[in-house]
Amino acid sequence: MAKGNNSEYKKMIDQQYKDLMKHCELHMEQIEKDLPEPREDLHEILKDRGFSRRDFIKWTSAMTAALMLPPIFRPLVAKAAENFGRIPVVWLHFAECTGCSEAFLRSSYPNVDTILLETISLEYHETLMAASGYQAEQNLQKAIHDFAGKFICVIEGGLPRGLNGKYLTLGPKGKTGIEVGKEVASKAAAVVCIGACAVNGNIQAAKPNPTDATGVGRALGISTVNIAGCPPNAVNFTGTLLHYIMFGTLPPLDSLGRPVWSYGKRIHDYCERRSHYDASEFVEEWGDKSALKGWCLYKMGCKGPYTYGNCSKVRFNDGVSWPIMAGHGCIGCTEPAFWDTMAPLEKPLDEKTYGGGEKTVDTIGAVLTGAAVAGVAVHAVASAVRHHQSDFFKTAPTSHKDDRTEE
Amino acid sequence: MQKYLGIKEWSATLRINHWAVAISIFILIATGFYIADPFTIYKGETVDKFFMGNVRFVHILFGVFLIFLSIWRLYLAVFSRFHADWKDFLAWTDLKGLVQQIKFYLLIKGHPEQKYLYGPVQALVYSGCWGMVVVTLITGVILMGAGYHAGLTSVAYFVLKPVENLLGGLAVVRYIHHIFTWLFILFIVVHIYMAFWYDAVLKQGTVSSMIGGTKFKQIKE
Repeated sequence: MAKGNNSEYKKMIDQQYKDLMKHCELHMEQIEKDLPEPREDLHEILKDRGFSRRDFIKWTSAMTAALMLPPIFRPLVAKAAENFGRIPVVWLHFAECTGCSEAFLRSSYPNVDTILLETISLEYHETLMAASGYQAEQNLQKAIHDFAGKFICVIEGGLPRGLNGKYLTLGPKGKTGIEVGKEVASKAAAVVCIGACAVNGNIQAAKPNPTDATGVGRALGISTVNIAGCPPNAVNFTGTLLHYIMFGTLPPLDSLGRPVWSYGKRIHDYCERRSHYDASEFVEEWGDKSALKGWCLYKMGCKGPYTYGNCSKVRFNDGVSWPIMAGHGCIGCTEPAFWDTMAPLEKPLDEKTYGGGEKTVDTIGAVLTGAAVAGVAVHAVASAVRHHQSDFFKTAPTSHKDDRTEE
Repeated sequence: MQKYLGIKEWSATLRINHWAVAISIFILIATGFYIADPFTIYKGETVDKFFMGNVRFVHILFGVFLIFLSIWRLYLAVFSRFHADWKDFLAWTDLKGLVQQIKFYLLIKGHPEQKYLYGPVQALVYSGCWGMVVVTLITGVILMGAGYHAGLTSVAYFVLKPVENLLGGLAVVRYIHHIFTWLFILFIVVHIYMAFWYDAVLKQGTVSSMIGGTKFKQIKE
């Protein structure tokens, strides 16, 4: 019976995947009709950069798996990558350090992901464009007019809300970030927030937050796709865009707007040092023998147990390394209110201090417990004294049950 | 010779529940502090060690026990055939009685007449304690569920995900969980002292009543 059910289940799944593939093929044909040819051919760029066809196929396999699709989708992922350059993108920079763009563009060993990002049809990118001043403003207007409802708006950086948003003004007309954001986002097919600043404000939104900065979604009151991280992995962005190219929809998002395929599990769950955590093997001090052995960084303030992300699986810089592999704990940059909730970054959470001193919740708790013990001791002595002085305790109370027992 | 009248105060089920909760909380505090601030075990090979894993297992096990014990206690409060005491948890609503009770605790005035099973201050503290249990269990289930991706736990986690987001992520949830541990410790100190104090000053066998179920009252000849 179980076998019968199993084959039926398999049939159902196969059918679902077939339908999905058909949908995907149709959507891609539509894209090829609707959107202009890529400016550059992906395969030629890859060849120029010394990537063989084999490297590209390897990358498609990895990307298909990362997107949680079965291997039969590999040709489609490859096709979507070839069509990557068709999607018009407007890339805005708000309150941030441009580190995300830098991290995407300047890797020393660019992989297919980073090259894909270079083939993107960037209609407007404040860091990369040659135009400036009124010319840049014109380009932006042209892009959002020509591709209205079709382009993807990528936003890097948070939005300060203080002084009516005047802490951040852009362009020759001195528009505030909020104005620009509203204008562009209203015409975009989707808004993708890149990096912790655009997602929740990051360091600009940390206490005391003088500019009242926050994430784009909250500042503009729109729902966004949040590629969280400081910086996020290029894979998470390209994968989400590939999903959009393949299926015409955004990937499933978690309750914080992060794509589930990349932010579905915690760092801790897939950490390569996890076995040392379970074995009670911790680094107690930077550079001690435990650190040399690659033991768990929990006591050095690793925030992996509270952080959702796929850093441990996809790693950074072409899979060379990632923070925990390099010997420093996770700082929790993909989580809401990052900085405030994750501070202190190099100490466990419960060693957060109050009032600028050494007062942690444990010292406060211990002092209060000591005070409680002292208090009850004083109370006990006072009770004894009172007992000797008078018949204070002799007036026995009437229990609430007396009525019943006397019946 | 003084004569005493035994009055049954606590039903056997309630006593079992009380001690099961007490043992669970003690184990949870001990294991919880280990998880918050673990010591390293240097001896032996990694493959042979699983101490943190075991401590977390015990912590989660007793946490789940505490969930069911709390549900049982709630059931007793409403449906106990001996004495359903949910009303007694509201004894603090009698504000006059509350003031009198505080005066008694401060050794200013004698013991006021007790209208409920619990005194007003006692009722307030016990209600607060069960509130603490609820908060700790909810935050605990969130922290447990974050590491499990199948079964009942992940369902509970899915249901509680909005709570996690509302609080500001797992880090905040974990911090609240940690703070509430200290509140339990404070409760335990005061609770044990008050039980002994009542036993000493009123001589009704308060401490043993939670074991034998009977309180004793002196009868005048």
